[in-house]
Amino acid sequence: MDDLTAIDSPVHRLHPLSKLVTTTIYIMVVVSFHKYDLSGLAAMILHPAVLFALGSIPPGICFYRMRYVMPLVCAVGLLNPFFDRTPMLVLGPLTLTGGIISMVTLMLKGILCLTASFLLAATTPVDSLCYALLQIHMPRMIVTLFLLTFRYVFVMLEEAAVMTEAYQLRAPGQKGIHYTAWGSFLGQLLLRSMDRAGELYESMLLRGFDGSFRYASGKKPGIRDILFPVLMITMFLVFRFNRVADLLGALVLRGV
Amino acid sequence: MIRLEHVSFEYESGCPVLDDLSFEIQEGEAVGLVGANGAGKSTLLRAMLGLLPCAGITVDDLPVVRENLSRIRKKLGYVLQNSDNQMFMPTVFEDIIFGPVNYGLSRQEAAQKAGEVMEQLGIQHLKDRYNHKISGGEKRMAAIGAVLSMDPEALLLDEPCSALDPCNRRRVIDLLNSLPVTKLVASHDLDMILDTCSRVILLSEGKVKADGPAYEILGSRKLMEDNHLELPLGWQSRGRTGNC
Ligand SMILES: Nc1ncnc2c1ncn2[C@@H]1O[C@H](COP(=O)(O)OP(=O)(O)O)[C@@H](O)[C@H]1O
Ligand SMILES: [Mg+2]
Repeated sequence: MDDLTAIDSPVHRLHPLSKLVTTTIYIMVVVSFHKYDLSGLAAMILHPAVLFALGSIPPGICFYRMRYVMPLVCAVGLLNPFFDRTPMLVLGPLTLTGGIISMVTLMLKGILCLTASFLLAATTPVDSLCYALLQIHMPRMIVTLFLLTFRYVFVMLEEAAVMTEAYQLRAPGQKGIHYTAWGSFLGQLLLRSMDRAGELYESMLLRGFDGSFRYASGKKPGIRDILFPVLMITMFLVFRFNRVADLLGALVLRGV
Repeated sequence: MIRLEHVSFEYESGCPVLDDLSFEIQEGEAVGLVGANGAGKSTLLRAMLGLLPCAGITVDDLPVVRENLSRIRKKLGYVLQNSDNQMFMPTVFEDIIFGPVNYGLSRQEAAQKAGEVMEQLGIQHLKDRYNHKISGGEKRMAAIGAVLSMDPEALLLDEPCSALDPCNRRRVIDLLNSLPVTKLVASHDLDMILDTCSRVILLSEGKVKADGPAYEILGSRKLMEDNHLELPLGWQSRGRTGNC
């Protein structure tokens, strides 16, 4: 993640606050789409596509990093086709039921939200993000929790990697970790991560950390930082409500 | 500058780790804190920084209590025994400016300060490297840099040379000698203590076993061996070899 946030691109240079606002609204809009409005939702792919391109982030990395989460998100809608059998569209011998469409919509929503969050994280260092959160008056407590959670996830992964290596060096020819060792392995992992996390936090305190993220405060927002979210949000709203307008129009016409 | 009066401490488990310690470290003094593994050196340093609840310590006449912690921590720079736990920003540079910016310097000033410190330590090449992708010794040098950049009035170092190659070890020793600040170095690298400190406090099972001039204490074979240490290598065989 650090490698990605270090890239220098127009997207990376944007003010963290403007990216945070854009992403939040993007996610809200994506979630608000109607469950059958697949075509409207599909247009929302434009936003991540633009960010991948301008931010020089290879999309492959994004999907590789999220390979464990994606299936979970996609699994959410799997049952829909069995419950909702209203036929929506007939293509020759194929009948698309409402269930199938809502399943695809739900999956797409999940993927889009994940991708957007990933892009935010990949183009904005976490400390800057925290600073931005403070600026929109998020409670300090919550922002600090967010930062620490982010750091501790990495501490835990690192500890797990080290422990697995140490385990395997002394258990040659064994695949993975034998189930008899799971309990102590997990316990140790937790204790070690907690110790390390505690010391890391102390070390932040010793160097004057007081939850204000002054060190991450960058430049003042410029004209680009205002234009970007305004343009993007307008675009989202157009995609979102354009369809509604169509439908309204159709209703009115039918009524007449 | 740092005064201890009857300081005792035990972790929850019961047996005392620090046992009625009293001594004072004057401003500008360089003191070595020696003792076998588990003697309580790290615990003592952590107590001085207020990381452990522990009564009887004052720093510049400020008692180490919650209200004074931020002032005390600004005065004392602490280099942890394990640098992995000290570095938390993505890059070395960001880690080094973290402290100064928190204490009110602007980013430019902090960056300049960081530049100076990195040059002193000879780690300019690490500036934009990622903390999780550098070696243990490089990390240690960066951690020392992160503390020096805050211009502390006293340096508390916990095994500062334990991961360093001879060349970097020599560099740290020379740097410590060139800094006029108060120093408290916990280590069992006795040669290094001998090179940097004029006074030594020998800790054993949480008690001060000896306190006096470095040459006297480190030179006493009986004292050293009774406390699971040995004479500095330089005194065991003749002549020291060092070339950096
Ligand atoms: N978090 C802890 N909980 C309980 N006991 C501890 C903890 N940390 C250290 N100790 C014990 O305190 C004693 C002193 O440890 P420490 O100060 O780290 O020694 P050292 O002189 O090697 O730095 C050791 O016996 C150790 O087992
Ligand atoms: Mg120690």
